[in-house]
Amino acid sequence: MRVLIVEDDTEAAGVMVRGLTEAGLQCAHAADGAEGLLAARAGDYDVYVVDRMMPRLDGLAMVETLRKDGDQTPVLFLSALGEIEDRVTGLKAGGDDYLVKPYAFAELVARVEALARRRETGSVQTVLKVGDLEMDLIGRRVTRAGQEIDLQPREFQLLEFLMRHAGQSVTRTMLLEKVWEYHFDPQTNVIDVHISRLRSKIDKGFDRAMLQTVRGAGYRLEA
Amino acid sequence: MRLPSIFRRTPFRLTLLFLALFATTSSALLAYIYVATAAEARRRADQDVRRELAVLESVYSQRGKDALNAALVERTLRGGPYLFLMMDSERRAVTGNISESPIEDAQGPETWASFRISDADQRGRVVRRSARGVEVALAGGERLFVGEDIGDTEAHLARVTQALWGAGALVVLLGLGGGLLISRNVERHMAGLNRVVSAVEEGDMHARATLRGSKDEFDELAGGINHMLDRLEQSMAGLRHAGDAVAHDLRSPLTRMRAKLEVALIEVEAGKGDPRAALETALDEADGLLKTFNTVLAIARLQAAGQAPDPVVFDAAELAADMAELYEPASEDKGLQFQAEVHANLPVRGNRAFVAQALANVIDNAIKYTPEGGAVMLRARRRSSGEVEFSVTDTGPGVPDEDRLRVVQRFVRLENSRSEPGSGLGLSLVAAVAEAHGGRLELDEGPGKVGEMGPGLRVALVFPPAPIA
Repeated sequence: MRVLIVEDDTEAAGVMVRGLTEAGLQCAHAADGAEGLLAARAGDYDVYVVDRMMPRLDGLAMVETLRKDGDQTPVLFLSALGEIEDRVTGLKAGGDDYLVKPYAFAELVARVEALARRRETGSVQTVLKVGDLEMDLIGRRVTRAGQEIDLQPREFQLLEFLMRHAGQSVTRTMLLEKVWEYHFDPQTNVIDVHISRLRSKIDKGFDRAMLQTVRGAGYRLEA
Repeated sequence: MRLPSIFRRTPFRLTLLFLALFATTSSALLAYIYVATAAEARRRADQDVRRELAVLESVYSQRGKDALNAALVERTLRGGPYLFLMMDSERRAVTGNISESPIEDAQGPETWASFRISDADQRGRVVRRSARGVEVALAGGERLFVGEDIGDTEAHLARVTQALWGAGALVVLLGLGGGLLISRNVERHMAGLNRVVSAVEEGDMHARATLRGSKDEFDELAGGINHMLDRLEQSMAGLRHAGDAVAHDLRSPLTRMRAKLEVALIEVEAGKGDPRAALETALDEADGLLKTFNTVLAIARLQAAGQAPDPVVFDAAELAADMAELYEPASEDKGLQFQAEVHANLPVRGNRAFVAQALANVIDNAIKYTPEGGAVMLRARRRSSGEVEFSVTDTGPGVPDEDRLRVVQRFVRLENSRSEPGSGLGLSLVAAVAEAHGGRLELDEGPGKVGEMGPGLRVALVFPPAPIA
């Protein structure tokens, strides 16, 4: 997977490149919006990671231009502007996700991976399959190795998100944002408790635990 | 040249300005009255003179020169304000009560003139008096002069004018005095305010203006200045406190993190430490720091903006139900009974994420501080006032009455809560969110003491009802 990082702070960009490369992603770096625009048009990328405030052409303008050109590559905005309205402007300009600085690196990796993978599943699915775990989206039924699992509505949504991002780390913040549709810091381990309840339902009685905890990042559903 | 300070005072300047205006208008009025009265006096004198002249001329034309002579003698003896003189054709005096015509080189049939005559007053002093008269040529070549002394009218006018000038001078004097008094008075009030302003300018934030209780504009201004200074001092103290608190709260974990990293480095170099564990602890510490930092920033922004960013109308009932669903498992895991009572349809205008954060903080506190076996109750309802209220009641140890105001402040953590994780910013953020929405945070005692439990805490977040769109 190829990621284009557009960030004027070269040191921060260097760390990002190292970290994302470590996570198995191929990275290129552009130092401002104008350079980023050229790089985006020249190369084939799966995700753009774009800083909002840059000299010459800022991130917002760059993404707007790309979208006008018909480039639908997912964009993750990075910004020190954390206000809600900034997030809204970012998403309106064509951003797909928004991460406020300072952020945890695991959060960045998880979100970049989630955006990059999103492209692969183009067709509308009615059944999700991860290993021996199966989810029927229309019948609202979940089975593991043919054994029916009874889930609460929220547990179902939680598992659906994890299955759609199987093999990737998802952070607690991502789960709260995408499953509960809230954007705030829940202080304590509320998400962990929901996960452990879900885990007890899908992994109990099976040899291999599918729902794994990723230290310092969040969770990952493994086939 | 610098004017004496009194001239630089606004009230005194205003007094001077009004006095000047008064003097100008009254002078103009006076001049008008004078001119009009003088003209009237002359007109009346001319009338009198003409009447007398007509009588004398008819005597002359009907009965001749000698009859006129006799009439003049008789009139002179009778006395009065009139002046007469009959002259021959050479203008030599014949009969009359003056020795020569006051109109020098009068020629022609009729010559009018205003002139002055010398007279002696009661004390024998010579005075000049105004007069008005006419000299005419008679049919026989003689000339006749008839005049009237108008000195009395003029003297009267002069006396009135003098009185008016005197009154004017008195008004100006009184005005100046009054202006001075008013100026002094205003200056005294302003000096108090100026003292406060310069004291504050020099850094004394405690300086306050004294109110005199007169409820006038000066008291109002002084009250306003005091109120403004109170607010300023408060926010400065808040800032300073926040700065201190941030420094304190960030310094300890930073120092801890640095020490741990240093020790870990030494241990790893000596080949006996676990670099992974050291890095993981460092990461945890950094995450905590970021959290604190973000919360402080959020509070500061809310307080600076004074309003919720990007407000929308949302259903508080839905939000409360979501929060109950989100927090119930964590609560039950801790061995707490969790109940939610949510009334339907509670529209609130505000920032949903911030309100969610605030409610989450309150629920989180309740779960954190209530011991196992206790209960947490979340309610969302509309008060009879129309306000929308979220309340979270727990059966924990509660917060003593005297500490309730304090726990809302930044970084304040009560002694018995230090063992729990937390930044001490939770309730400050809740209060900041409530205030930014025009609402408030209320802390009360919970359900009371039951055995080991209680008395508990009831935290209410109250929002104004959403305006009907």
